[in-house]
Amino acid sequence: MYAWRLHADRITPSQLAPRSEARAHQPAGALMRGPSPRYSAWSLLRARFAGPGFWQPLWHGARLKDAYDVVIVGAGGHGLATAFHLARDHGVKRIAVLEKRLVGYGNVGRNTTIVRSNYLLPENHYFYEDALRRWETLSSDLNYNVMYSPRGVIDFALSDGDMVDLARRGNALRLAGIDAELLDREAVLRFAPELDAGGPRRFDIVGGLLQPRGGSVRHDAVAWGYARAATALGVDIIEDCEVTGLRSAAGVATGVETSRGYVKAERVVFAVAGHTGQFGQMLGMNLPIETHLLQAMVTEPIKPLISTVLVYVHAHGEAYVLQSDRGGVVMGGFLDGFPSYTREGQWYRMEDVVQTAVALLPQLAGLRILRHWAGTNDMTMDGSFIIDRMRYDNVFVNGGWCYGGFKAIPASGAACATLVATGTAPDLIRAHTLSRFRTGHLLDERGGGPFPVRL
Amino acid sequence: MKRLSCPFCGSRELEEFLFHKTLPEPGSDAYAAVYERVNRLDDSHEYWQHVHGCRAWLYVRRNPSTGEVHETVLLGGSTP
Repeated sequence: MYAWRLHADRITPSQLAPRSEARAHQPAGALMRGPSPRYSAWSLLRARFAGPGFWQPLWHGARLKDAYDVVIVGAGGHGLATAFHLARDHGVKRIAVLEKRLVGYGNVGRNTTIVRSNYLLPENHYFYEDALRRWETLSSDLNYNVMYSPRGVIDFALSDGDMVDLARRGNALRLAGIDAELLDREAVLRFAPELDAGGPRRFDIVGGLLQPRGGSVRHDAVAWGYARAATALGVDIIEDCEVTGLRSAAGVATGVETSRGYVKAERVVFAVAGHTGQFGQMLGMNLPIETHLLQAMVTEPIKPLISTVLVYVHAHGEAYVLQSDRGGVVMGGFLDGFPSYTREGQWYRMEDVVQTAVALLPQLAGLRILRHWAGTNDMTMDGSFIIDRMRYDNVFVNGGWCYGGFKAIPASGAACATLVATGTAPDLIRAHTLSRFRTGHLLDERGGGPFPVRL
Repeated sequence: MKRLSCPFCGSRELEEFLFHKTLPEPGSDAYAAVYERVNRLDDSHEYWQHVHGCRAWLYVRRNPSTGEVHETVLLGGSTP
């Protein structure tokens, strides 16, 4: 009956695979110039005596130039991180990030702020582990507090069958040197005492898989921190500038048409989460991407109640629940279930998320929902992201992030910048090509076939 | 978009229906028919099924940016 314990216990530290690609730790603050003072205790002290006007905007009205080395479309997490890494790691001088609306207005400000790397497939878990290691030091890298909080992420098992599944995933992670702990019921309740252990349950908790280093990051701070760091490195962030077309000559892209006129570009990167499909259409391609809505909601703030990130994903209900530093209980669940750009969440999904969350934590039942919103998700046909060239040699796509966009931002920026700067994809994203769907090398984490939604 | 109109059952809550996939472009090869999606802002042609009702398969044409449903047709049958 408890065969899963044997498998989980068989792993010893000496069997762990070497850590994934080590990276050079290089704080950006030292390289910074420009208006924004470097944040430190010393800057606080100086501000005290400097009077008003000491603190500068994090980024401010850059003027759109006629030509750039790299034009990045979309000032969300991935676009800004790519710009930052291009400027810092590869010394690219003339970079513009063009944003249709405002910095951080899209999915980087709409997600549930969870970071983790507990994916089953090696191509995915090494990549997300790279991201998680970067999250750990991002605040000092950007000289901006992104409030990384490694409070742990637990996936729940409701049966021995679930435990076998979780043990399989946990073993895959531990073999890759990523932290994963298989917990039995008592250990789950010790780690998350807020769970209702005594109450009647239709599906009792049998155990769980814990990633202790997983947790939460303040999502808006990520966009602001990257925007500030990129600006300090000389990147032009242009808001209210919609890209409407791409010009090409002799099989090479030459620039982009925007609502503020034509901009010449040596290379173009599309980091337009939720609208990657449209840019595929703009280039005359149908991409393997469907655009779906994913909802999230937050309750009124309460005193600290939930100490970790609770992930409850089962056929009868799906919810992931955590408490923000402000005290609100943040919840999300499954996709609405059909392609949409309305950003208008369906009531039945909200009901499903709330019911599941209350089943897990009955003490939430009296709370009121304060805000509720939806974001557009690029759902690829295997559930994994795409960072690759698109149609032209100098046009790149960073998209198809499915549910995994926010937690990937630091790794995505670094890997995408390497691809754009050197023309060669680093190992971490070598499998995440656009052509994998045609060649059959799918990264189907869920094993669900070419459908984003299968209930 | 809150409801769909089933040719047999009339206007029903969206929760009763299951979206299956968007239709491939006419003349697509096998790869494109399985993996590629016509992902337009203003127009979407889709297969749905009324799973929690009469279980009929439907062709639905709608605008994914506004949620407006233009057409619901019974597959394999005549337009009601």
